[in-house]
Amino acid sequence: MHALIIDDSRAMRSILRRILVDLGFETAEAADGQEALDHLEGGLHPDLCLIDWNMPVMDGYTFVGRVRANPEWRNITLMMVTTESEHGQIVRALAAGAHEYVIKPFTPDAIADKLEMLGVTANVVPA
Amino acid sequence: MSVMTEPSIADVLAVTEEVWTSFLGGDDPLMPGPVFAGPVAWSSSVSISGDWEGAVSLELSAVAAEAVAHRMLGVDVAVEEDLADAVGEMVNMIGGNVKGLVDGVSALSLPLVAAGRVARPSDAVEVCRADLIWLGEPVRISVHMFRPVRP
Repeated sequence: MHALIIDDSRAMRSILRRILVDLGFETAEAADGQEALDHLEGGLHPDLCLIDWNMPVMDGYTFVGRVRANPEWRNITLMMVTTESEHGQIVRALAAGAHEYVIKPFTPDAIADKLEMLGVTANVVPA
Repeated sequence: MSVMTEPSIADVLAVTEEVWTSFLGGDDPLMPGPVFAGPVAWSSSVSISGDWEGAVSLELSAVAAEAVAHRMLGVDVAVEEDLADAVGEMVNMIGGNVKGLVDGVSALSLPLVAAGRVARPSDAVEVCRADLIWLGEPVRISVHMFRPVRP
């Protein structure tokens, strides 16, 4: 399983990377929606994108819309990972095509539970 | 429409503690501390604009900022870029959740980060402030409301 982490904060990308690697994912990263689109157009095809909302250049909401507009990317699971806790913002993200959302702050278990609910799980052999 | 609901210090503290525990570990809790009298080494701020207008700010000593960067990024030695990124993301998360405490529709800015104190608009009025201690180092979280200048 491959995941693309999209967040303008290196600290947040680092935290999410550690969580996803522990869950058995291979990861790539982008600092904004445009950089993430560049990755996808360059041939990267992740199973999952974790997307911040509030980013410079291209925000997460716009990125979700762009991905959903391209049929080649319809199988990518999109999960917002955001501080946006307003109901209206969440509804807007889901209407744009995001599958799920996690509100910061989160725990590793919260991410794992959401991914399991979405059926996006890597095969990790327990140590 | 202008919404005058102000976030309470209890709510802001609860949000801050949740962010702190989630990303910096629960073994070293934030504790109430004396008034932050020393030099502010790093600060960050996010603005909330819309029905409620204001800002949430975080101020830290140098040691506290380095510890935040170390724990968030997993680096042994944090360079300035690491410090700015980590301190900015902390206030982004706290501010995003404070935004959820105020009524109405509003938007969150990207974080501003400064070595030293982040400047505030002249019409900013402090709504609440908490002086805290973490790892024996001072940390301050504050919320300001922006009042339009009336003729």
